[in-house]
Amino acid sequence: MGEADQETLYATICREVMLEKQLTGHKVDRSICAWFWEQSISQGEFVKLPPVIASPTHYLFQIVREGITFLACTQVEMPPLMGIEFLSRVADVLSDYLGGLNEDLIKDNFVIVYELLDEMIDNGFPLTTELNILREMIAPPNFVNKVLSVVTGNTSNVSNTLPGATASCVPWRTADLKHASNEVYVDLVEEIDAIISRDGALVKCDVYGEVQVNSSLSGLPDLTLSFANPSVLNDARFHPCVRFRPWESHQILSFVPPDGQFKLMTYRIKKLKNTPIYVKPQLSSDAGTCRITVLVGIRNDPGKTIDSLMVHFQLPPCVTSADLTSNHGTVNILANKTCSWSIGRIPKDKAPSMSGTLVLEAGLERLHTFPTFKVDFKIMGVALSGLQIDKLDIKNLPNRPYKGFRALTQAGEYEVRS
Amino acid sequence: MFPQFGATAESLSKASTMVFRIGTDAHLYDDPEDVSIAPLLDSRFDSEKREALKRLLALIAQGFDVSNFFPQVVKNVASQSLEVKKLVYLYLLHYAEKRPNEALLSINCFQKDLSDPNPLVRAWALRAMAGIRLHVVAPIVLVAVGKCARDPSVYVRKCAANALPKLHDLHQEENTSALEEIVNMLLNDHSPGVVGAAAAAFNYICPNNLSLLSRNFKRLCETLPDIEEWGQIILIGILLRYVVAKYGLAKESIMTSSYCTQSSGPEKHGGDFHDEALKDSGDIQGINIEGGADLPKLITLLSRCYTEGPDEYLSHSTCTSVSGNELDRASLTSSKDNDDVRIFLQCTSPLLWSHNSAVVLAASGVHWIMAPKEDIKRIVKPLLFVLRSSPDSKYVVLCNIQVFAKAMPSLFAPYAEDFFINSSDSYQIKSLKFEILSTIATDSSISVIFQEFQDYIKDPDRRFVADTVAAIGLCAQRIRTVANNCLEGLLSLVRQESLVCDSTLLDGEAGVLAQAIMSVKAIIKQDPENHEKVIIQLIRSLDSIKVPAARAMIIWIVGEYNSLGQIIPRMLPTVLMYLARCFTSEALETKHQILSTAVKVMLFAQGEELLTFREVLSYVLDLAKYDPDYDVRDRARIFKKLLAGHMASQGPMEGIPSQPQNTDLRTALAEHIFGGKTKSTLSTSNNYRFYLPGSLSQIVLHAAPGYEPLPKPGSVVYDDSCRDMDTALAGGRTTNSDSSGTNDPDTLSGSLNEESTSNYSSGHSVASSAESEYSGSASEVDEPASSLIQFSEVGISYSKPNESAEGNGSTSISDELGGLMSKRALESWLDEQPGFSECPPSKQGVVLPSSARISIRDIGNRVKPKTYALLDPANGNGLRVDYLFSSEISSISPMHICVETSFKNCSTEILTKICFTDENQSSESSNQALETDESLSTSYDVPTVVPMEEITSLVPGQTTRRILQVRFHHHLLPVKLAIWCSDKKYSVKLRPEMGFFMKPLPMDVEAFKSKESQLPGMFEYIRSCTFTDHIEELNCEKDPSSLMKDKFLVVCQSLASRMLSHANLFLVSVDMPVAVNHDDVSGLCLRFSGEILSNSIPCLITITVEGRCSEPLKIFAKMNCEETMFGLNMLNRVIAFLS
Repeated sequence: MGEADQETLYATICREVMLEKQLTGHKVDRSICAWFWEQSISQGEFVKLPPVIASPTHYLFQIVREGITFLACTQVEMPPLMGIEFLSRVADVLSDYLGGLNEDLIKDNFVIVYELLDEMIDNGFPLTTELNILREMIAPPNFVNKVLSVVTGNTSNVSNTLPGATASCVPWRTADLKHASNEVYVDLVEEIDAIISRDGALVKCDVYGEVQVNSSLSGLPDLTLSFANPSVLNDARFHPCVRFRPWESHQILSFVPPDGQFKLMTYRIKKLKNTPIYVKPQLSSDAGTCRITVLVGIRNDPGKTIDSLMVHFQLPPCVTSADLTSNHGTVNILANKTCSWSIGRIPKDKAPSMSGTLVLEAGLERLHTFPTFKVDFKIMGVALSGLQIDKLDIKNLPNRPYKGFRALTQAGEYEVRS
Repeated sequence: MFPQFGATAESLSKASTMVFRIGTDAHLYDDPEDVSIAPLLDSRFDSEKREALKRLLALIAQGFDVSNFFPQVVKNVASQSLEVKKLVYLYLLHYAEKRPNEALLSINCFQKDLSDPNPLVRAWALRAMAGIRLHVVAPIVLVAVGKCARDPSVYVRKCAANALPKLHDLHQEENTSALEEIVNMLLNDHSPGVVGAAAAAFNYICPNNLSLLSRNFKRLCETLPDIEEWGQIILIGILLRYVVAKYGLAKESIMTSSYCTQSSGPEKHGGDFHDEALKDSGDIQGINIEGGADLPKLITLLSRCYTEGPDEYLSHSTCTSVSGNELDRASLTSSKDNDDVRIFLQCTSPLLWSHNSAVVLAASGVHWIMAPKEDIKRIVKPLLFVLRSSPDSKYVVLCNIQVFAKAMPSLFAPYAEDFFINSSDSYQIKSLKFEILSTIATDSSISVIFQEFQDYIKDPDRRFVADTVAAIGLCAQRIRTVANNCLEGLLSLVRQESLVCDSTLLDGEAGVLAQAIMSVKAIIKQDPENHEKVIIQLIRSLDSIKVPAARAMIIWIVGEYNSLGQIIPRMLPTVLMYLARCFTSEALETKHQILSTAVKVMLFAQGEELLTFREVLSYVLDLAKYDPDYDVRDRARIFKKLLAGHMASQGPMEGIPSQPQNTDLRTALAEHIFGGKTKSTLSTSNNYRFYLPGSLSQIVLHAAPGYEPLPKPGSVVYDDSCRDMDTALAGGRTTNSDSSGTNDPDTLSGSLNEESTSNYSSGHSVASSAESEYSGSASEVDEPASSLIQFSEVGISYSKPNESAEGNGSTSISDELGGLMSKRALESWLDEQPGFSECPPSKQGVVLPSSARISIRDIGNRVKPKTYALLDPANGNGLRVDYLFSSEISSISPMHICVETSFKNCSTEILTKICFTDENQSSESSNQALETDESLSTSYDVPTVVPMEEITSLVPGQTTRRILQVRFHHHLLPVKLAIWCSDKKYSVKLRPEMGFFMKPLPMDVEAFKSKESQLPGMFEYIRSCTFTDHIEELNCEKDPSSLMKDKFLVVCQSLASRMLSHANLFLVSVDMPVAVNHDDVSGLCLRFSGEILSNSIPCLITITVEGRCSEPLKIFAKMNCEETMFGLNMLNRVIAFLS
């Protein structure tokens, strides 16, 4: 739906254009969407178009979120990442406002979407993209508002005043905030990306983590967050509120937080030595059938329970039918040959396993292509990378706030090849 | 069966969805037209208006055209509710271009909003106003932007910066300098938020005016981290261009490394140093740069592409490469010694931690180009980290990494595993990763990479597998040590695949097999001698491989290496016979290969086998001659002719007497064609088009419109004085003074207002009756000129003591006296002001100057409205029609303007039946779009041309005059008329003269001033120009005695006559400076008043003069008019005819 420099934003879903916003004087015809859909159909269902496409008349940027395509176009040179990042930001803001992203939500709230877009971009250049400020300008739809609007019929979701933050020296924070209870929560959310090769070796295992802060603090507090072992961090990116100097010199995060939930920092820790669980697929084929067994178990006990364990894989195209059973959890095979084995919590007493037979296409003796198994899990209460928060100091606050810490590890792109 | 039940169920389900979607706008989106929208728009209640607007918005969202509601929607722009306003703006901006007339109606409302105390309202009004892309409003928007650029609210200033590109779009050239001035001001803003937006505006309006930055380069660098992310992206790019333009590339950077290593001239020392540095960096990382000779070339190419653009560079690369080097080296700088470059790099490096991947990439680009080679590695980790952010930015970043990796493989070599492929990657990402992996593979990492590749080969996605196989081939070519391993792997793959393909002929599998053979072929090519066995294996597998592409390639290998080693030549007869046997059943490409292989083998064969080969060849050629495919037939024919010599020697018995020379020639040709061994080429870098990192062009691999390479070094003049803030500020003003003077009323308004008010407040009283006697109408020209100048009595209202003191000299002079006063008297009178004559003119603003009011009697006969030609006798068959705008007021309607037309017969025949008709009716639609609000406010329809009394005949040489009453649709656009003459039609265009859309509005000075004070702010505009008319007149003045006095009068007269000739105005007063020396007319002030014909809105013009009589004068024209559009255009017109 939007662009910088000279753009038009479209949100489209299933070949239907839901929203359109023209940003500059050079009107872009809707037919560009038709071209785009034709293109994506011709490429086949499973092949994704690249995010940057040169059409005969325009350059298109596209991202897909939750089945909704956000499309922006330009005719002139501009940083392509700017377009893509902006589209992602639009998608993020919308999903935050609407509590998700789908066709109905967007249609139900199209006025708010338009108002938001109008604030977010002006003449093709992003204007206000900070979520907290947008919230002050345009009230998110919530139940109270909805009921009020039904009852009284005249609430407005557009604020009458300019958020104070736009004028302050910390543009992400309103100047005079008051909270009854002063609280700040820091969450470490980590995702494990791992690749396990066909012979069971750990090819790579990285942790991608986020420090999420939910702050409700009055006034203009100054926070300092330090890690016990910052040396494990391979790389980091910061929210604009983080001051660069202290990080450069002492690896300390010093910042004035925005109000509410935000992503303070993202980091990466590379080359972890082991994974919490093992998934061992075995496939042996002979005479037109293939025997499949998948074993799952705990390799390194993280000390907390491993939850929401799921194993997905795509049956090779040469498989005609499959019969799979498991000793724990449920196995589902969808029409598009996607199998998912949902295990849930790993039982203490036994190792879950799934086994079965695959029938191959006629004429095919043995399986020569093997699926990749994707694993999902969640471990509450622990950051597997071992990164530890040392302390959180809060200055500029009259009374002691409540500070809370949590950690969560989940699987990111966790793949086991067979 | 139970229809009523069904209905209930349906309504139930409807009801339940209603519950979930309660309070949302869902019903509006689903069924926007279920109620009539028009009455809602006219409702008194905001809530109903809002609902109507939401419905309209829903229709827009769904792609319907609802522009027919425009007039009703526009009315609501005045609403107090912010949400209604916002919704109206959204609607307005969507359709403004389609409905320009109605859109103009909203302008006054925006103007009001611009002075609202709420910054949000101001900002929105500005945004909406700038968003209405109509040429006519551009001047108003420019004024508004200028005001908002000084707004106390950061948000409003930011919106002002954002409005600049919109304005620039409208007015391409006219106001660029004024816009640049505002851009410059906003770039100097102390708030980072504004600077970011200003950077975007800069990039749009004047991307090449880099000298604007030189003053505050350092400050911009330092604010860079505080600017919001989007502004950072743009500003980084601008600053990079600036640095390159000013200092050139850094000599420590990778961009220039190849120049330095090649250099043997004056910079010998530096060259050696960098040569070493390059080696060092290579050694330290323990990298074996295979094919290292190519790298410097590639880097040179890269940096040339960056600075010149690949299209230009590639087109003339061959001829200029040498001289170019010299040139570039002359303009190198150092990223270590140069402060600006260092600061720039320092300030961009924290941005590598930004959470916006576009910022990271932009900052990386800067370091890639400017940073010292040893520091470039700091961009690696951030870039790799961005890969994790989203699949979409991943693609773009990979495209850029690919280029970096090509030019400097060592940079990414330690991070090979970051490019390992995930099953969730899209196909484009996968192939990019392959390319990067095969570029950065080194001896140490290749084994891991190969293990990884082996895993990929079993992937179900066969296209991906084919790519893997290709990548293996590439790696093996780059790193010879692993070539054998690769070959083995590939051959086993070939065996396996050929089995699979046997059973199921899948498209993907065929691709994999062909790709595998291709990779094998490429590896063999590098070192054929050592791979004899491989070739034999391949030949053996020929039987089992069924994929045509793969077969064709193997057959090619047979032909190519037919004389290699010991075994192959011995196999050849069998192979060839086998091929000949299956020729007919082969696919097309295989047939081609069989043909050429047979020829090759035959050409190089020796001894007894030659005969066999000849037989096989002629057999194959015969088969080919009757092939269904014409291409095969043609080839066979060519080969036959070409090889006639060889074939002939086969049997001299046949006795074909061929010329020996001819045969030799043919043989040589044949041998040349088929014998030339193909050289091994690295096909890795087939893309030599490089664009700046992070640009769109780099992704789509062609220069997108608007793409510009880095600027030429030294294109910004290095000026040390510019660094000094104060002088620079002054300097900037003076260099731009011309443009700012004429185009930016706002920068001057402050000082000018001060000055003009000082003039007005000097409190002279009522104009005399003599003045009002002169009605300013041109019809009174016949009145005898009594005196040249008449002093009205001045300033008897002693309300302010200092004024009275200043005005004392003039009080004694009465009207009549003034009328009789000789030139000398005036002169002496002027001389009697000793106190003031000492005042230097430059202090005018400080010391209130005194002035005398005069009236110019004879101005009437100096007023000569300009005559324009309407029809040329050459085009009009001898009829000449001229016109001038008359000051008469139309009796028919206020819409009509009187135009005096004169018809002259220049031909030798009598012209008959001359009359005017309106040609507009037919093209009404085209003009409609350009009608102004004037025409909108007229409800009754008036004809464009009031029918004129027909001129029945015109004898040769005769001239007749007629008054034509024309209604112009727009005060700027010509009206189309047709002249009928002797039954012939001539289309002509009558151009309007804005000045005659007014009629004189007689008033006295007091009334003028009070009126003026009622029209401040947005209704007041000032522009300036220089006036030179009087100089000519002064030069003509012969009488030396009158010289002194007349200078002033001449100026007054020429100004006044200029004004009155071009506009139908009333000359209210002429204030003459008294406190001046003889030559200085600064302070001369003329006031004119008029009334717009169509709507009787008064229009006040004040002309003030500055400068010396004998020189060109600086004129400031001030316009006070409620009708902003008319006023601004009129002011422009005034400036145009005065200068």
